[in-house]
Amino acid sequence: MTTAVSRVGAVAAPARRVGKLHREGPAAYLFLSPALLFFCVFLILPFIFAIVLAFSDWGGFDLSTLKWAGFSNFGDVLSFDGTFVKPILVNTLLFAFGSVFLATFGSVLVAYCIDRLSFQGFWRVLYFLPVVATVVAIGNVWKMMYQPAGLINAVLNKLGVNSVGFLSDSSYALPSVTVVHAWASIGGAVLILTAGLKAIPEMYYEAAEVDGANSWHMFWSITLPLLRPALLFVLITQFIGGLQSFALIIVMTGDGGPVNATNVAAFEMYQRAFKFGAWGTASAMAMVLFVIILAITLLQLWIARRRGEETS
Amino acid sequence: MRIAKGLRLAVVLGLLATGAACGGGSDSGSGGGKVELTLLSHYSDGPSKDGLDKMISEWNKENPKIQVKAQVVKFDDLLTTLTVRQTGGRGADIVSAYGLWGGQLMKANVVAKVPDDIATKIKAEYSPAALGAVTTGDTLLGYPTELNTYVLFYNKKILAAAGINKPPTTWAELADAAKKTVKRDAKGNIQVEGLSLIQDGDNKSVHPFLSLLDSAGGKFLAPDGTAQFDNEQGKAALKFEGDLAAAKATNTSISPTKQFRSGGVAMAIQAGWWIGSLKTQMKDKYSDVGVTAIPGPTAGSKGSLAYGFFMGVNQRSKHADEAWKFLTWMNEHKTEDGKVTETGKWLADQGLIPPRTADQAEYKKALPDPNLAPIYEAATYAMPEPNQPGAYEAKTALHNAIMTVLADGKNPDDALAQAAKAVKPQ
Repeated sequence: MTTAVSRVGAVAAPARRVGKLHREGPAAYLFLSPALLFFCVFLILPFIFAIVLAFSDWGGFDLSTLKWAGFSNFGDVLSFDGTFVKPILVNTLLFAFGSVFLATFGSVLVAYCIDRLSFQGFWRVLYFLPVVATVVAIGNVWKMMYQPAGLINAVLNKLGVNSVGFLSDSSYALPSVTVVHAWASIGGAVLILTAGLKAIPEMYYEAAEVDGANSWHMFWSITLPLLRPALLFVLITQFIGGLQSFALIIVMTGDGGPVNATNVAAFEMYQRAFKFGAWGTASAMAMVLFVIILAITLLQLWIARRRGEETS
Repeated sequence: MRIAKGLRLAVVLGLLATGAACGGGSDSGSGGGKVELTLLSHYSDGPSKDGLDKMISEWNKENPKIQVKAQVVKFDDLLTTLTVRQTGGRGADIVSAYGLWGGQLMKANVVAKVPDDIATKIKAEYSPAALGAVTTGDTLLGYPTELNTYVLFYNKKILAAAGINKPPTTWAELADAAKKTVKRDAKGNIQVEGLSLIQDGDNKSVHPFLSLLDSAGGKFLAPDGTAQFDNEQGKAALKFEGDLAAAKATNTSISPTKQFRSGGVAMAIQAGWWIGSLKTQMKDKYSDVGVTAIPGPTAGSKGSLAYGFFMGVNQRSKHADEAWKFLTWMNEHKTEDGKVTETGKWLADQGLIPPRTADQAEYKKALPDPNLAPIYEAATYAMPEPNQPGAYEAKTALHNAIMTVLADGKNPDDALAQAAKAVKPQ
């Protein structure tokens, strides 16, 4: 009997909760509405519009000139005769992978060192400064240093090496801007990784020390595995940032040159839309870039989940 | 049917988000019978701004019911500003634009058709080069304003030190002078560049190349937008440039606008507007500067490129009649002595060629600087820069091709063939 009563009670309780939820639903949506409206207006609707444009021929401004173009924009964009796949998309991936690799490697090293230094706040602020500085300032300072008569070439000349056209030689231009992008993004990653380092319990290191492990063993077997969630977050955000970034390239090379050597997908999209008035092609490029970013992010998450890690 | 309905819904929703459908009017205003027109231009500083402001304030004083307000941005931001403001429904009533953009602005219904009576007058009174630079197909885009032609600037002292006492008159002489004047230090750093084949700004290698192409009798684009440069003349012009790059007599990393004034460049193919900057920057040393026509492959041949700006009326302006009234006054009213138009004087004072034939003739009578003569002369034979829809993209494709030759040593024939393939008539 008691059991029957408790069963009835168990069935009734969720029903009450559901009823309560139904009553609270409108209020919940009312509170959520500003955020939902923002999300719709600034993300969902432009995204839908971009999809429509990707299948259209439109010169901008006047909707009456919008014409259905089918898949022709995608055909132009993905054609191997064009410049988007090679060199632009290849540059984009090299720029993103290169800057992620350098920034991640650098930030792990810097964060690990900072974690063992006094005045940690000072060092963190110092490395975070490039993140606070504007891209224009960073780009211009590095541009001056890369000039034929700039600081880096002056050092090379002192060492007996001939001047290098860091931004004018198409073989060096992309690596040169990649290094600057990596340098500028180290600060943010250092902040996240030092927080990750602080979360590793000290007792693991003490136990390893008792077992006779050296610094390298401790870094490889304790620090790196336990830093994986923070590292995964850094990798994903840096990679997405790298794929979408183009402001630094505009400042340092002006037009993605020499000869498209530093032209990346986001910059090409901007040029197509705002310079050439080819909004359809620009939107098709945006869709291709969206699919690539989605695929790579899902791949990173899948690899991380296979190893039992999550970013949150 | 359902798909079409969905598509329309998506477009409308998207526009709501992006603001492209915001009103569709310009940001001009009217109240109490008074109309305020906005004029967007790149005349943002120096004599160009002062001269335009002077004309606007004169008009505003004489026409209290039609007031004009100038909005200025730097040239590099002009197209983006124009695009963004137009998209947001806040385009200016009067737009000053680079002729090259004319085709795409016309295709996107940004610039209004010039009224027939005004178009007839413009066609009769302006020079062919100025008209060509601001006409797309048969459509005139507005009043021609700035007109620039390309010429060869040279440093007399550097040429004389290399034993050259007269400016080059053929490609062979030009190449010879470039190779004789180039100087490098032991580390390979360039101290003096022989001949600069680039200019500041967008697609920096194209204008000098097109000037050489013109001198060889070649063309850039056909009226339908197809590439015309992938032929004997184009290959010869690019080979000429490629040979100079291979001989290290030209280098794309040197900026002539920064290095010429200090003797770091012996010769440069540049637009006429540069003369004003050189006078200001070089002061006494300006006497070392010489200007001549860009030589062609054979004796007596020469070439140049003419590009222009125009002022037109926004198709979305609610006060198009008033805007045309102002533009007509601005371009037709004369200076106090009655010899030239105020606009002609404003442009000539900046070292630019006045686009109106009568103004040009008046200034040619007594040029204050002999270096201006070849610049004015070039307006009679220069190739107008094509500006049909797609011309800007074609120019960028050509720029990339030229740079592969100058910076990477690629074969000129292959580079031109690739650029021609990238040109898509619209």
